[in-house]
Amino acid sequence: MYRSNAIARMPIQAGRLLRLALGIGTGLLVGCGGATVAVPTEFPVPLVERLPVTMGVHLSPELRKFVHREKLKSGGDWSIDLGDAQEPMFTNLLTGMFADMRFVKKPDAPDAGVDAVLIPSISEVQFSTPTQTRSDYFEVWIRYNFQLLSNDGQQVADWDLTAYGKANQRNYGGLQGNQPALQAAALAACRDAMAFFTVQFRGIPPVRDWLIALGGQAT
Amino acid sequence: MNYHNPLLLPLLCGILGLTGCVTATVQEVRESNTGMEATDSIVVLGRRGRPQTSETELDFVSCVSKNLNRGAEKMQVVEEQDFMDAMFPWFEPRTAPANTRDLPELMSLPSLASRFEELGLRYLVWVEGSTKRTASAGTLTCSVAPTGGGCFGFLTWEQDSSYEASVWDVRTGRVAGKVSTDANGTSYMPALVVPLPFIAPVRSSACSTLADQLNSFLRDTI
Repeated sequence: MYRSNAIARMPIQAGRLLRLALGIGTGLLVGCGGATVAVPTEFPVPLVERLPVTMGVHLSPELRKFVHREKLKSGGDWSIDLGDAQEPMFTNLLTGMFADMRFVKKPDAPDAGVDAVLIPSISEVQFSTPTQTRSDYFEVWIRYNFQLLSNDGQQVADWDLTAYGKANQRNYGGLQGNQPALQAAALAACRDAMAFFTVQFRGIPPVRDWLIALGGQAT
Repeated sequence: MNYHNPLLLPLLCGILGLTGCVTATVQEVRESNTGMEATDSIVVLGRRGRPQTSETELDFVSCVSKNLNRGAEKMQVVEEQDFMDAMFPWFEPRTAPANTRDLPELMSLPSLASRFEELGLRYLVWVEGSTKRTASAGTLTCSVAPTGGGCFGFLTWEQDSSYEASVWDVRTGRVAGKVSTDANGTSYMPALVVPLPFIAPVRSSACSTLADQLNSFLRDTI
């Protein structure tokens, strides 16, 4: 039989009143004031059968320092730092997908022992705020471009991947402003990029052909 | 088997003659036998599709998990984020199975089946729904002067929580049943110099009713 403990929570608490007042005040101050966030650097490792491939990855200085900055007419200066997250993101992604991975400095002349080199770049970032969409959600879109080069520098494949993340600002309360929800949306977009890459990679026709030619497609 | 178990909760009757009451109902539909062994665990997941107008609040999902994980009949509950990280990328918004028909394909992946085994996962509980403000009325004004300040007025608002939990049995790859809860309540905030909020805990009532009913649903067999 259902028994509720809700009645114990009903008496008014001084703290609740204070939190409400602080929430209203802070909400008014930060509601449309922009935000500066950096994507967290902790990512999961994909749970898939590893391909018997040693994959090199080249992260350009531009990607490592990528920051999306935008000034919105609806209010505020906004900044999303994606650069610091790229190395841990691709380390975990490729560690989960391939037998081995290593970073390479020269993508067209990689170290010996690398079967191919992946070159990711961010070609576009967009985001929307709850004010713009009249919803509760921050949304972030990241368009990645990937090039896959064979170990002799020849292009194997070139494709785009659009990742999407959203976060409900109601999940993060009013005291912390826009930062936590925007950060969560950007993190969700990075995770979506990893998920999409993981499930899509083997099915991209030139990649599939290259894997067959390499004789290394995992079953 | 389908039975309706209305549970009225005239809970919040207040101070100073004001009331903020929560009424909750819970409903259960069973499609197959359930049961939990000592080593079994469950995970409660919020449905988070791609662009859509509403999704289940993170704290509601964690509230249900915590309620299932405490008390005399507590269950082993895997935290939602821990589960999503452990199963990455198969339960992300883009890739999460939409229905139980997708489970056999997922379980055919040896690494995924092995991870399920490690976690001892017996049931996946998908929660959908949200809490919304359905009506509000009144006005409240505040002013500040060099000699002091204060508020005057009266606000009232109604909230409605509606959630449904779909229980997937990992071993059979079938839906074991559904448990749903609806709760609504009215909150008040009179202000004579200082505002006094009488908040009806609508969402927490929905959380505890859903968790209690889920606990009994998962333990009971027919």
